[in-house]
Amino acid sequence: MPSATKRIPAFELSVVSRHITYRKRGTALSLAAIALAVAVSLTFVALQDGLQEFLFNIIVDDLPHVTVTPKDGDDYIHLYKSLIEWAWSIPGVVAVSPGLGTTATFTHKDNVENVEMLGVDPVEMDKIYNIAKYVTDGDLNSIHGGKRVVICRKLAERLKINPGETVVASFPDARPAGLVVSGIFDAPTGWPEDIALVSLSTARDFLNEGDVVSSVDIKLKDVYLADAAARRLNDLGYKAESWQQLYPEILRTLAIEGFQNILIILLIMIIAAFGIGSVMYMLVNEKTSEIGMLMALGATGRMIRDIFLLESGILGLMGGVAGAVLGLIFCLYLKSQVINMSSAGGQQVTLPVIISPWNFAVIVLTAALLSVIAGAYPAWKASRLDPVEAING
Amino acid sequence: MHEVTLGMNGTTEDIIVLRDLSKVYKDGVEVLALDRINLDIAAGEFVAIVGPSGSGKSTLLNMVGLLDTPTSGQILLKGIDVSRASPNERARLRNKELGFVFQYHHLIPEFTALENVMMPMLIAGKKESEARVRARELLVSVGLGERMDNRPNQLSGGQSQRVAVARALVNGPSIVIGDELTGNLDTKSSQLIYDLLRDLNKRINQTFILVTHDMVLAEKTDRIIRIVDGRIVCEMRRQGDEFVASEKCDLGEDGGEIRRD
Repeated sequence: MPSATKRIPAFELSVVSRHITYRKRGTALSLAAIALAVAVSLTFVALQDGLQEFLFNIIVDDLPHVTVTPKDGDDYIHLYKSLIEWAWSIPGVVAVSPGLGTTATFTHKDNVENVEMLGVDPVEMDKIYNIAKYVTDGDLNSIHGGKRVVICRKLAERLKINPGETVVASFPDARPAGLVVSGIFDAPTGWPEDIALVSLSTARDFLNEGDVVSSVDIKLKDVYLADAAARRLNDLGYKAESWQQLYPEILRTLAIEGFQNILIILLIMIIAAFGIGSVMYMLVNEKTSEIGMLMALGATGRMIRDIFLLESGILGLMGGVAGAVLGLIFCLYLKSQVINMSSAGGQQVTLPVIISPWNFAVIVLTAALLSVIAGAYPAWKASRLDPVEAING
Repeated sequence: MHEVTLGMNGTTEDIIVLRDLSKVYKDGVEVLALDRINLDIAAGEFVAIVGPSGSGKSTLLNMVGLLDTPTSGQILLKGIDVSRASPNERARLRNKELGFVFQYHHLIPEFTALENVMMPMLIAGKKESEARVRARELLVSVGLGERMDNRPNQLSGGQSQRVAVARALVNGPSIVIGDELTGNLDTKSSQLIYDLLRDLNKRINQTFILVTHDMVLAEKTDRIIRIVDGRIVCEMRRQGDEFVASEKCDLGEDGGEIRRD
């Protein structure tokens, strides 16, 4: 008895290709269901990826990737210059920004406000927080000159002070001094409103603590190297934390969102695959007597099963490819759109759309796979038909 | 290959031998559809199986056609016991050794006449070019040389049935089985089909077993087997223009007469 040898399923494929080409309505229905699901999924993923990257960039681009703070029990980081040298020796470092914070009381005419005064290197600080673009009146670099301060707009409003005017700063441990307001900035989202930026030396003058800083912020080219960089500084005896440690909710939020997206897409595609499953089920019912005849002609149950599995898979793949083309058109269209924001300022934005070939491949193949799974029951049912009963309908 | 086992009276000349073949349907009530059937059919015979509806003649045909399995007894196909063959083995034998023509042609509507005839060869895994040549020859020989590229819905009932006959013959089967194959045709088309089968029977010594209740057709064959209640009650063979009942013919049980429906 000859064993069942592997062969190209020419017979099965010929039946499948005729079903697909001659049964236009069933084919169109199956393809439309899958294509639409794939197109919608791809567009959704492209928008979500774009949005995630957009949010990620906002958050991570304007944050220090590693922050060094005083050791437990200390108020300040002493000998910070060697720390800065160490920091610059880490590969991929793009900015190292020391900061010296203290509280002060600002007085202008009758207005008194408590402020967080931060001594910074304006150039390095801007590389980390991108703060210069928020300075609307004046210039952040002006604090280099000393005895100058750049303050938050809300604080300026409360003090009723204008650029060029002098505010009197008083401290617990130093004599009051006048600071010229050389710039006003709009606080970025998440920043406190009582911030005043001065030069490191100005801050130091008021503090009488010598050559110290209270924090060193570090920015890296690759944000995911932050953990390694923080570990290296910890090994050197500093207290350094990466952004992942300082803001774990960022990654958690992205992970949850990513999972939700996968779930939604999977559900959309399962629903579409059910479309193929029911078209196949109807096809098997309609073709019962032909299936019986094919069995009489010598087709094995396996051949019959393969016909309907192949058909499901091919329809899924064709629908998937059509959906990928459709999805690409959607994505390119959305990407080209300029949306006028209705809010004040009337900014124009483009949608953040990320078209990833990887997503296309995964979604199209998933659609094909789910279609085969959906076709499995009708295919199994067809393969188990009794030829005599099937022929007689 | 199977070891060749011969039936009691079976010779290698006998293409099909049935030994004590019984079939019981247990669908709620037990129905004895076939009751210890013994039958030998030799190569080149042209046999009609007749009998009232529900007599078991179609069941018998399905057994011979390896579409159904017996409850007990043996089916020897070319001397080999196939009564317990696996579904895949039965499928292979149906493909290779058997041809089927049913009351409805059951041509696949998406395929042309030619492609329908090629189908059993493609199922066997034969080359498409080879199948095309063979199918073309057969369609010419059933008189449909001009309709090869027509699809079933462009063919008349008689033409479709001739395509079905060509399809049954394409793999060179040992037996062609016909179940009421002219049941759906007018007299003229039936006559054409009969002439075709008779011609094939003579020309290539093709064995035919036809189930029919059309006595006009049955009387054109060489051997008539009458089944009632799952038993062979009468068997007649042609001798010249006459049919002679064999000793097996139990005339009493069946009224002793072949009725013309």
